[in-house]
Amino acid sequence: MVERIEDLNLPNAVIARLIKEALPDGANVSKEARAAIARAASVFTIFVTSSSTALAHKQNHKTITAKDIMQTLTELDFESFVPSLSQDLEVYRKVVKDKKDSKASKKDASGAADVSASGSGATEEAL
Amino acid sequence: MVEPKTTAPHQRTPTAETVLPLSRVRTIMKSSMDTGLITNEVLFLMTKCSELFVQHLAREAYAASCSKETSDTLKYEHLSQLVNKSSNLEFLLQIVPEKIRVHTFQEMLRLNRSGATSDDDDDDSESESESESDE
Repeated sequence: MVERIEDLNLPNAVIARLIKEALPDGANVSKEARAAIARAASVFTIFVTSSSTALAHKQNHKTITAKDIMQTLTELDFESFVPSLSQDLEVYRKVVKDKKDSKASKKDASGAADVSASGSGATEEAL
Repeated sequence: MVEPKTTAPHQRTPTAETVLPLSRVRTIMKSSMDTGLITNEVLFLMTKCSELFVQHLAREAYAASCSKETSDTLKYEHLSQLVNKSSNLEFLLQIVPEKIRVHTFQEMLRLNRSGATSDDDDDDSESESESESDE
């Protein structure tokens, strides 16, 4: 849980990097503007989370899903984010699936091998 | 490196990597009331979403204000102006309020007081400007 209010701040250096990426080369950002954007991003996250939670509860779901977030973004007039996020999500799901598959195949391989090999496979699994 | 940034600022390659820390975003999400379980997928999505928002805000504020001026610095005023005129940024009005000079504020108060005697509606705007004095 949140113990200090600073725990809700996003790291300054990362915010600075993201802003720099978005602006043309040679553009500067005042310290005050950067702090305001960081604050705004935290509030935005809370805003979208609580809106998505409300949406999920309305459908009698306890946990929010990716679909809830997409729908919330559209309702909040940020539908421009949805295409990019869908692409990211697709890549993310693929990476997670690949990880799972490679883990499963490793398990199979270690199962077929001798005792010492399967032993090392098991410790890898535990890590 | 320089080329794609200037020609297509909106284009980016989708990745499964996040720049913002997932753990911090989780803490922020948890601070919102009765959030149930947060799956890794949702956490990833919210983190990406926050990254997009940071860049959206910076880009819009810069495009709206800096292009008209000779200065190429993104300032606080540009952000508060953007928040003020964008309906989808309404939730930020109290987070990024417009700055107001003390003497302008005092002038507003003075005008409000003299106006309040003739018009009751002014009470509303007066309390609004008072809350702005915190800044």
